Amino acid sequence: MSQSLRPYLSCVRSTLTAALSLSNFASQAAERHNVPEIEAASSPELLLNPLTVSRNAEERVLVEPSVNSVRVSIRIKQADEIEHILVHKFTRFLTQRAEAFFILRRKAVPGYDISFLITNLHTEEMLKHKLVDFIIEFMEEVDKEISEMKLFLNARARFVAESFLTPFD
Amino acid sequence: MANINWRTINIDALDPESSYNFDLSTLTPAVQPVSTADVQTLTGQIRQLLRGGDASGALQGALENAPYGADEQGKAAHLSVVTECLNQIRQAEMTPLLQRMYKAEGGSELCDTLMKYLYKGMSQGTDTPTRNHAGAKSMTPQATGGFSQAGGRNFGGTEGGGQAMSVFLSWHEKLVEMVGPGSIVRVMSDRRTV
Amino acid sequence: MLLLDYQNVLIESLLKDRFAPGATPTSIDQVVSDFDNVTFHISTPESKTKILVSLAIKCYPELAKYGAEEVLQREYGSLIVQPENGYDFSVQVDLEQLPSSDEEKTELIRKISLLKRNAMAAPFEQAFDEFASLQEQARQYTSESAPQGVREGGTVRAIHYREEEAIYIKASHDRVTVIFSTIFREETDRVYGKVFLQEFVDARKRGVQNAPQVLARDDPPLELQGIPGLKGGKGAEGGVTYVTFVLFPRHLTPQRRAEVISHIQTFRDYFHYHIKASKAYIHSRMRRRTADFLQVLRRARPEAEEKERKTASGRTFTVKS
Repeated sequence: MSQSLRPYLSCVRSTLTAALSLSNFASQAAERHNVPEIEAASSPELLLNPLTVSRNAEERVLVEPSVNSVRVSIRIKQADEIEHILVHKFTRFLTQRAEAFFILRRKAVPGYDISFLITNLHTEEMLKHKLVDFIIEFMEEVDKEISEMKLFLNARARFVAESFLTPFD
Repeated sequence: MANINWRTINIDALDPESSYNFDLSTLTPAVQPVSTADVQTLTGQIRQLLRGGDASGALQGALENAPYGADEQGKAAHLSVVTECLNQIRQAEMTPLLQRMYKAEGGSELCDTLMKYLYKGMSQGTDTPTRNHAGAKSMTPQATGGFSQAGGRNFGGTEGGGQAMSVFLSWHEKLVEMVGPGSIVRVMSDRRTV
Repeated sequence: MLLLDYQNVLIESLLKDRFAPGATPTSIDQVVSDFDNVTFHISTPESKTKILVSLAIKCYPELAKYGAEEVLQREYGSLIVQPENGYDFSVQVDLEQLPSSDEEKTELIRKISLLKRNAMAAPFEQAFDEFASLQEQARQYTSESAPQGVREGGTVRAIHYREEEAIYIKASHDRVTVIFSTIFREETDRVYGKVFLQEFVDARKRGVQNAPQVLARDDPPLELQGIPGLKGGKGAEGGVTYVTFVLFPRHLTPQRRAEVISHIQTFRDYFHYHIKASKAYIHSRMRRRTADFLQVLRRARPEAEEKERKTASGRTFTVKS
């Protein structure tokens, strides 16, 4: 399982590093406005080809670049119902704190679990390689956390069941 | 009495001068239209090379003649043949093959094209499981028309998909090592999509 | 706290205070609630030395149908008084007529705090008795020749102790089946519940060999065929789940009876309590993880350097950040 994880993450890393070359671009439609072009999509020339990096059908990353902003959407592996709920709750926790996170998008792109919106302002303020580090670490941590929580839940359920049924012995 | 809500009309779309209606074709160099039949002949030839055991030659041929001008079906067909080539080549042979390709005349173009196919392959595998590459199993002659394989060769989404993806991922890693992240940028900005 | 207590802890502690040798009688008027919407009222209506404890259970009429009155009579005999207004059952303790020894006092306290358990025990005891008699009858026949009544087992006793949830008890000649119908109001609860139930079902295989067999389904089990008003079926809104406990003869011996009845009554609350507890833990874990992420992101921001700025004439500014 993890033998394809390392190339997957390094692929995401190089794709992100390439996509994060952003520059300031004022809006062409309205004077003195500056919008992230990937969200506004005001003009087709400003949008570049979206790239997908996928490990399998369940785990993939969609990178949609444009001249001054990049949208990164991640789909996290959810094998069964309990993982589905855990991922759903976890992304909800994160998106509700989106203001604190700067680069997080409040709503995920349809078909994905969580989305980041990185604009030229962010790349000017923050170190680019650290941003990429953050996203990669995020992907690793979320996977780890989800499987840990599931393990914990199973262990706890077993303990609870055994303690209830032992007095009957 | 007017039924149209004037405020919801997208005025930019109607204005011929606005940037909304920027003509993207001025950005890309002209591509020659390629018919699906041509694509099929090409893929047939490449498969022959594959069957003959010359995987690297097949890959080279496929990349040199990428059908930028074909329609959806043609492009999908070409993608599947490229995937077959990639699967056939073994791990050990990947790096020397890439080196040779890169050093040759016009090599960086070929590598860019390969990168485009890698990304396209990865995005395809997730949308439509039926588009999974056939692998070594189906070397059947594709003489009969159409690659509308509606559910024909579905090797069960994740199993086959996962394996295909790991092939793409390892190729991607080696390619980036060789060519650098610049090729990814070129894939993003090149309007001629595979 | 892993297992739930059988007795009501508030009543227990209150009575212990009142029964203590040096305590002066004071007037009490408290309403205490217990699981399953059961309320107790402790008061001193007549005099400060006579403590009245009353119980209100939603399903008292049903319990009475299954012989609750006899069981309560047996347990509390001398203490029973007319039920208080608005309550189903009352006992009264006279502080001046307490038993002398400490063990007897503690025993009395324990009995009174088990009021709810004793009230709910009646249908179980009836079913156990029925099982004993069926077992006797069945012993006289082989399994094929046993008459229809013995083979099928006894009637199903239903206790609707909560809104939309019920316990069904059925005795057979070789087992007693207790079925809990429980409802999950939230989708997430249902999923957690499934994980927990799976472990309950597997517990016999894993470690606790002598435990009762547990089964869980979404539609009503066969034993409940023909009972009106049962919800079920996959995907029914309301998400009803039926959990079946099969108690074998080793659980039904006279020595173990009381313990088994007390313990199995607490199942539903125990189950839901642990689901909520794990939910809370998972949430707190997620919160911690998001805080960690935030910290990592902060690291990406380089510290703005304090630069010394000078004007043309040489005066220095201090930068207020």
